[in-house]
This record gives sequence, structure tokens and C-alpha cells, in this order.
Amino acid sequence: MIYLDHAAATPLSEKAMKAMLPYFAEKFFNPSAAYLPAVELRREYEDAKDRIAHVIGAKGADLVMTSGATESINLAFSTVAAGAEVLISAVEHQAVVENAKRSGNFQTIAVDQHGRVLLEDFARKLSPQTQFVSVCLACSELGTVQPIADIARLIAAERERRAFAGERTPLYFHCDASQGLGLLEAKVNRLGVDLLTLNAAKIYGPKGIGALYVGRSVRLTPLTVGGGQEMGLRSGTENVAATMAFATAIEEAEKHISFERKRLSQLKMRLMKSLADLPNIKFLGSPKTQLANFVSLCLPGLDAERLIFALEDRGVYLSTGAACAASKGIKSPTLRAIGLTDDEIAGSLRITMGKLNDEQNIEEAARHIREVVTSEWARIMKGRNEQ
Amino acid sequence: MRVFLGMSGGVDSAVSAHLLKEQGHEVVGVYMKNWSKNLPGMKCPWAEDLADAKRVAVKLGIDFRVFDFEQEYKQKVVDYMLAEYQKGNTPNPDIMCNQEIKFKLFAETAFEQGAEAIATGHYAQTDGQNLLKARDENKDQTYFLYRISSEIIPKTIFPVGDMLKPDVKALAEKLGYSVARKAESMGVCFVGEANMRDFLAEFIETKPGEIRELETDAVLGTHDGAIFYTLGQRHGLNLKAGLPYYVVKKDMAQNIVYVSRDLNSLKLWTDKIQLKDIIVRGDDDGQNLQARIRHRAPLVDASLNRETGELHFAEAQKSLTPGQSVVLYRGNICLGGGIIA
Repeated sequence: MIYLDHAAATPLSEKAMKAMLPYFAEKFFNPSAAYLPAVELRREYEDAKDRIAHVIGAKGADLVMTSGATESINLAFSTVAAGAEVLISAVEHQAVVENAKRSGNFQTIAVDQHGRVLLEDFARKLSPQTQFVSVCLACSELGTVQPIADIARLIAAERERRAFAGERTPLYFHCDASQGLGLLEAKVNRLGVDLLTLNAAKIYGPKGIGALYVGRSVRLTPLTVGGGQEMGLRSGTENVAATMAFATAIEEAEKHISFERKRLSQLKMRLMKSLADLPNIKFLGSPKTQLANFVSLCLPGLDAERLIFALEDRGVYLSTGAACAASKGIKSPTLRAIGLTDDEIAGSLRITMGKLNDEQNIEEAARHIREVVTSEWARIMKGRNEQ
Repeated sequence: MRVFLGMSGGVDSAVSAHLLKEQGHEVVGVYMKNWSKNLPGMKCPWAEDLADAKRVAVKLGIDFRVFDFEQEYKQKVVDYMLAEYQKGNTPNPDIMCNQEIKFKLFAETAFEQGAEAIATGHYAQTDGQNLLKARDENKDQTYFLYRISSEIIPKTIFPVGDMLKPDVKALAEKLGYSVARKAESMGVCFVGEANMRDFLAEFIETKPGEIRELETDAVLGTHDGAIFYTLGQRHGLNLKAGLPYYVVKKDMAQNIVYVSRDLNSLKLWTDKIQLKDIIVRGDDDGQNLQARIRHRAPLVDASLNRETGELHFAEAQKSLTPGQSVVLYRGNICLGGGIIA
């Protein structure tokens, strides 16, 4: 197997798995119970939250643990009142888009050809009525890193203006950091965000656990009510095992950021170089602003889904932004937003590398991709000649 | 030959693709998108099926297309089915689907796009003129195909029609097709017999009514809509009685279901029935045929009066349900059939 879809899911790291094991059958207590073993468990849980928060420069009490990024995003949007003006970038994950739609009053911020938010456009659309802004840390299809701190500065200026003018309309900034957490620093103060979505499943942690950082001025409405866990913002018995593993995974990821960034950049260069002469190939995103593990490309004239099935047959797994069956025929709005043609979208592939890749299997992957692309072109040309 | 093959994402059409290619045909795999709506408790698997079909096409290096027939399928198959149920009949939507969609619309579209022949993964055979039973008697699907037109038969290939189902599965395994062990779809492709009740309930408003004993007119219980009941049905009546009751009659206007515990009730057993919408290919006289009253039912001797459309069975048959089809055979040839009036 050559796995090239780390943006979709990552395998649980050994350390993270080890970290969670004691919490299934031994330390199984309900952290809300009164007896000492449960109280000790609660301390371990709070400590794990502190460790996660520390990586983003926050305190454990600023975090609400959730079932993953989608829930975090939904919880973040709970602060948006019906009809409130929302701004999101044109390259957001569906979870953000669908939540924005619910507000009934949202606009998208235009991006450049690489999928990076255009600050001029944002400044133009940010109005005295804007209440909520959501932009991803890095786009999940192109890997393009967004100018979060710059956006935050414009938001801060608008807030200041409102304060001086005595306007009381709130304005919050949410950032979905599902992608890029293991390759970028993400300190909430430096980013300047009020809400930050984190996900364990993309950084070698377990699935089913995520977190939302909630700045102290933000008022959310819980999605689940009940026992009042997570300061009343997310009732339900805490997922201690997954939280322990999340803490281990995020610490590991942070520790290796610069090493992995360098290693993956080299693999990326190698892969791009060996695919560069495929017919009509176009690489998406700019090397300057793209995550080190992303190679996004399109091969107009080819059907990306066919390539994926042909590669799957050779044990090479990757993803497409095209209108494939897996996406129920819905074309990627992200690829539209960067101005790709239908043909280019139909032939688009997303390769995302990670721990499961090294020089050898990237070279092999390149060979498989080249062969599959060549044989698809041969099939198409043969059909054309016969007609 | 340029052959357009209907690929459902199942094992039979997958193996059909392989066989056609091996025979030297230029194969174009086609997924017919007939339905994509999820209903409560029924997830429509179209996207998975499409991907499974395409996966096989890619493995074989053949062209693959999607024909979107959702609108036509709704009109010609689903609406027909709902209307029939509302009349109190028990229609067979698969037969309608083959007649209107797979062997008509699909064929027409394929020929427009340059096909010289069409193919499907059905278990059936042809001799170039007649529709013939499959070699695997157990799997024979001519019951569902009897209404296809005489013109399409010479242009149709059934690549697995001369194979036994276990051999088809074994070949799929050998070829490494991921669909080799996929569960077979039954009944209305996406609904399945078990869910027909729920499906109907989504589309047709029903009212509770009485269940009465035919002989005495006594009210024995209530039902939640007469359309849900089929003649001959024994289960699901929820009558607290020792001996089983059978549904023997439905009064759609009054929404009453009549039952009887008399197994020999004339309403349940009959040796002659009136057929409508009869199709007989060729100039067969209709005498001394074999008839099949439902899929996989044993063949019974019968004669068709071609003028009146009356079918006489050599022996009385139980629970002949209006709306269902009786399919007629002479030896190996599927001549046609008709719908029970």
C-alpha cells in the first residue's frame, strides 16, 4: 500500500494508541463521580486538555472537547444569530459552508488563483454588520495556507472602530485548523482568532475527538445539553481515552513540525519533478503558500475518478476534487473558486503525504501515476482513432 | 462489435463486461442512474453502485458512461407502480423497468451513441430471434424480461446467460473484482421486497380500514391501508385466531380487506384467469404452453385463448394476484405473457 491521502485520515500513532489504552478497562470511571479514582481520572483529563491547549497557546479551560472538527465548527457557529452577517472564504470545508448557509446571510471572500484569500476583497466585504468570519488555517483541497493574522488585524481594526462609535454589534473570528496543524504553528494569540477548531484525526490521533478553542469574550449556545460537562457547552460523559491520545498526538506533532516540514517539502519537490512532464499537467497552489505535504494537480482531458480506481488497483490511494461518485457528483466549489475549467476539475487529484511516505514509496507512487496516466491517454486516443 | 453494457455495480454485469471484452467486443460500460433519493430507513446505494461498476470498467480498461434516467424511471416505473397499488393491484416494477428503461430507453440512447448491440447481466439467453431461458434454471430471469420487444432481442447479448451463478461468482473472485461477494439486490432495485410497505407509505396516503371475514362479513380486525395487502397473503394480518387467515379480496373503494380461513376458497384457487396487456412473440397458437405465475415458481401447463386472453391452467393455481404477470414458455422459449386482470 502507498497511502497518499493524509489530509483525509492519518493512522493512529503508536504513542497515541498507548496513551489511550489504560482508559478503556482500567481507568474506566466517570470523571464526574465522587470517589477518589474518578477524581484522579478527572485530574488526568483536565491535564490532557491543558496539554492540548498549551500547543495552541491557551489554557485547558478555554477548550471544549468535541467529537471532531465538524462538531467544533457547528459549535463555533452557534454564536451566529439567525440572519446575522457571516463572511467565509471561498475555499472552506463543507461543514463551514453548510453552517454559513444556515445563517441565511453569508458572503464568500474571493481567493486568488492559488486559493489564498484576497485581503482587499475581505476588507471590502467586512461591514459594520458583519458578526462572524470563518477562514481555514489551510485549505483542505489545495493545502493553501491562509493569511489568518492579516485577516485578524482587519477584524481588530473594525472592532476598535465599533467600540469608538459605540456600536454594539459583536464580531468573532473562527479558524478551522483541521488541516496543517502538524506543519504550522497555530498559537491563538498570534493568529488573532476567537475560535479555533482542532481535530485529532489528521495528526495521527484517534477519530471521534476534536476541540474548539473558545476565546473568553465569545458566548456560545451548546449543541447538547444535559449534565453540564465542558462548562455547560458540551454535555455528555467526557471521552477520556480519546482526549489522552489527542494530547499525545498533538504534542508529538508539534515537536516534529520543522523536521516534518523539511522532510515532506523534499518529497513534494521530488514528486512534482517526476510528474512535471505528464501531458497538460498543471500544479495547483503556490509553493510559497502551500502546506509542505500537499501536491494538488489537474490533468485536463482525463477523468480523475478513473485514475483513482486504476491506482487503487495498484495499491496506491489518493483523492480527487472532481465530481466523483464519492462526492455524489458534486463538483468542488474550491476548484471553481480558483477559476478551473470543468475539464480541469474533472481531472484533478489531491496527493497528501505524511508519516507513511518516504523517498522510496514516493518514487514508486510517481511511477504508478505516470503509468496509469499514460495508459488512460492511450485508451482515449485509441477510441478517438476508431471513431 | 461496439457493445453498450448496462452495469449495475453487481457481480453479473461485472463478469459480463469481462466476457464481452474477451470475446473481442469494444465494450462501453453504462451505469443507469434511475433513482438516487434516500428515504427513511432506506439509503439509496446509487453512488456506491456506480463506483463499483466504474471500478470494474477501469480494471478492464473500457469506456464508462452514466445515463441519467431518473426522470423517466420516476414516470414510467414508479408512477406506474404507485397507480397500480392504488387500484388495489400488486404490480411488478422490475418488469416495467426492463420494458421501458433497460430494453427501451437505454437501448435507444446506446444506439444513438454508436452502439451496435446492447448487453446486460441478466440470466437469460437468445438464439438471435427468441428470448430463451437461462442455462441456470435457478437464476433464470426471463420472468422479468418477458415484455421486452421482439426488435431488441436480436441486438441483445446476455453474456452470463449460459453460465451457472456459482461459476459467475467464482470467475469474479478469480478476476479480483471487489463486487464478487456483494449481496444481491432483490425486488425493486433500490427498495427490496421487505421495504415495499415503507416505500409505498412515503408516496401514498393511506387510511386504516376493516378486515372482514369473507363468508360472514364479520369485522375481525383493522388494517392500515388496503394497498399494503396482497391476495393470498397470510402474514401480517394480526388477527387473533387459531387457524391462519388468508387475504382473498380487497375492496379499494371501501378500503376493506376480506380474509378467509378456507384454503379451498374459490377466491384463492382458480384454474382460469383473464390476462391483459398480452405480449406473444411470433405466431404461436397459445395451446399447451407452460406458464410461470411468479419469479421462480414451478412451470405449470396452460393454454392461452389468443382471442379472449383467457388462460386455462391444467391444475388450479393459488393466489393469482391482479397486477402480477404470468409468463408463457414453449420449451426453452419465453414467448411473452400478460398481466393478471
